[in-house]
Amino acid sequence: MFFPDNYEFYCPVKINSGNRALEHLPVELDALNAGKPLIITDREIAKKGLIKKIAGAFKDSGITMGIFDGTPPVPDLKLVRRLMNNYRDTGCDSIIAAGGGAVVDMAKALNIVVSGRPEDLKEVAGENLIKNPLGPFVFVPTASGTGFETSRFATLGELSFSSRFLMPDLVVIDPRMVTAEKADAVISTAMIALAHCAEAYTCPAKNPMTDTYAYAAMQFVGENLANVVKSGDKKGRLALANAATMAGIAFSNSPRGMVHELGWTAGGISGLPHGICMGILLPYVLEYNINSEGHHMSDLLLPIAGPEVYAGTAENLKARKAINFIYDMQHDIHDITRGGIPLTLKDAGISKDALQGIAGATVGDGHTGFNLDDCMVILEHAWEGKPVKDGLQLPVHN
Amino acid sequence: MYLPEYYEFCCRVKMIAGHDALEKIPEALAQLHAGRPLIITDKGVSGAGLVDTVVDAIKGGVDIGAMADDVPQDSSLKVVNHLADVYRDNKCDSIIAVGGGSVMDTAKGVNIVVSENADDLMKFSGAGALKRALRPLIVIPTTSGTGSEVTLVAVVKDHERHLKMAFVSYFLLPNVAILDSRMTLTLPPAITASTAMDAVAHAVEAYTGLAKNPMSDANAIAAISLISNNLLNVLKNPSDREGRLALANGATMAGAAFSNSMVGVVHTLGHATGSVCGVPHGVCMSILLPYGLEYNMHKNAHFTGELLLPLAGAEVYVGTPKHLRAGGTIAYIRKMNQDIHNATDGKHARFFEEVKDRDGKRMVPREKLEAIAGAALDDGSIFYNPEECDYEDFLMILRAAWEGAPLDRTLIKGV
Repeated sequence: MFFPDNYEFYCPVKINSGNRALEHLPVELDALNAGKPLIITDREIAKKGLIKKIAGAFKDSGITMGIFDGTPPVPDLKLVRRLMNNYRDTGCDSIIAAGGGAVVDMAKALNIVVSGRPEDLKEVAGENLIKNPLGPFVFVPTASGTGFETSRFATLGELSFSSRFLMPDLVVIDPRMVTAEKADAVISTAMIALAHCAEAYTCPAKNPMTDTYAYAAMQFVGENLANVVKSGDKKGRLALANAATMAGIAFSNSPRGMVHELGWTAGGISGLPHGICMGILLPYVLEYNINSEGHHMSDLLLPIAGPEVYAGTAENLKARKAINFIYDMQHDIHDITRGGIPLTLKDAGISKDALQGIAGATVGDGHTGFNLDDCMVILEHAWEGKPVKDGLQLPVHN
Repeated sequence: MYLPEYYEFCCRVKMIAGHDALEKIPEALAQLHAGRPLIITDKGVSGAGLVDTVVDAIKGGVDIGAMADDVPQDSSLKVVNHLADVYRDNKCDSIIAVGGGSVMDTAKGVNIVVSENADDLMKFSGAGALKRALRPLIVIPTTSGTGSEVTLVAVVKDHERHLKMAFVSYFLLPNVAILDSRMTLTLPPAITASTAMDAVAHAVEAYTGLAKNPMSDANAIAAISLISNNLLNVLKNPSDREGRLALANGATMAGAAFSNSMVGVVHTLGHATGSVCGVPHGVCMSILLPYGLEYNMHKNAHFTGELLLPLAGAEVYVGTPKHLRAGGTIAYIRKMNQDIHNATDGKHARFFEEVKDRDGKRMVPREKLEAIAGAALDDGSIFYNPEECDYEDFLMILRAAWEGAPLDRTLIKGV
């Protein structure tokens, strides 16, 4: 195991996972000194009857709650302000975000403003500008999300926030909430977990704690994703929700990698779920970094392929084998979804002309530390679907 | 990977680790809105110069309120109250605990008193009695074993009323654990070994017990791998900074695993042996661990077998047929004890008959085994053990562990 000279790790998140997990909510809120939650969700989740399940958990508890089920796909500041007033007027003291993506982003933004000054979110947009703990925040995942829900990140329109205080106090994973979802939503969430973990596990800034969470999450994704997509396997869905939670924790304690940054931008431009873009890009970025100084690509083979393959592969071939395994996994998913999940950026509907823009946006003002040429090499190869490095064989699929 | 029907996991302690981790304390305190700590430690730790190292590392960045190095071996209510007065008299706003289990227990007790203005600590004992966050607490372990830096429990003895008060709350979790290689660099080999095996026992029992879950499992696997890969190297080369840090990190992860997934018969019998004969906890753990695994093997051979991977590495794991892996794990742990025994010039006891006190006197006379088995019946840690245990079972395990003979598994009732 690689040991950096100095490192930090922090995970304030408590996890309750499994049967009747929701029923623990009243006790958990009490432990957080809260008694009147505002539930934030969206129409689709409410329509499935999932909010009733949460409300049912509070039956006989004497706790009353507010419910807002109108989270739009792109929430804005005006809505957050409206909800803030509502939260205060009705005497709420905590937030339960049920769902993923925009629901959680908006709930986190709301928690910033209801937890004290500044009410102007722009003042705390950026890295580590939130200085004090926020109010009690519970996240109840459904089957799909962005994979950022457990993390220290949140975005609202143009604003993005990064603070350890944005990590939820509690994640409640209940099989009744993690219901069947469209394949691309499930795959996107799982691919984000896989990409974040593979980057955390191989990057020069890794440490034994991020390794631990990343390893477990990658195993869960590897063991369950194909089954869940094929048959909707219930226990597998629960395992994937666990994986997403662990991945969020590893990701929150690691620098943002190139797969994440490129995939994020590509998702924005193509309109595809971010995780699908990250999944496409993952093997190409790993390949690009295969011999880069400080990267730990060979280590990846054990969590990705298991001890048999790991032990049976010569040291100098381990990195390549790991990357080939990821290619294989993508091909499997592609086949299971009958081509529904694209294997290249081209098939994802991104035009070749757009690549320069993706690379440019990723490099941005230079804060990511990536350079334009590297990004372009990766994007062009991932667009066309050809290996980045000579001699690296793509698996043959008939 | 194994996913139970239901589980909870929580480890809210921020970890700052490294060869210069102590230097991060002022910043960590500032983030907690504090800057005038009371440093709590014991004479052994301060005598070894470790507190000086801490003070040197932080004095430029914080205003040390007071330093108290009179924590006794056994925590006590009197000391807790005295240190709370020191905290108040010196207008401290936070606590830094430097030491092992009893220093941390004491610091947690002091924190309850000063945060809640408690005149009677007893009011806050038991689960759920604490309702809000306490004052900032930073802990710096000086052994790599107990995992106290990430546990939500504190035990304080009231010697006058002959009471043992147990406090259980997530609010007792320290805010920050500092793992700095300088803190364990001078730990003698035998103590390094027994404390490390204590951590291995935490991780192994958490992984093979009834309350296992994926988060604890991940921590347990990593802990076992770190300790197994580094312990012998550190014993042979005590100034191996990286190895020391690996052991510290392993112990913390093992602590996170067992405080969320509980322990089993190894700890039950270890607690009893400790209380009847005064044997250090880590020594009991390393001796009993293979026996506990043997005893439970018919219930959880699968999980025990999986531990061969972090213990021995992928080659050995893959090279061992599946049905032999549990046995392989147990044999590997026995071999670790033997290797440690050799590396410490025989100071590390392999079985109870070998345990000697400072004067070379045998600490566990054979005729005490019945008393130990009896004491074990009162220990709650057996609750999460895979197989149910009665007095006869305890005695059977103890007798084998006394002699150093493998358990005769045909005598186990459930087999």
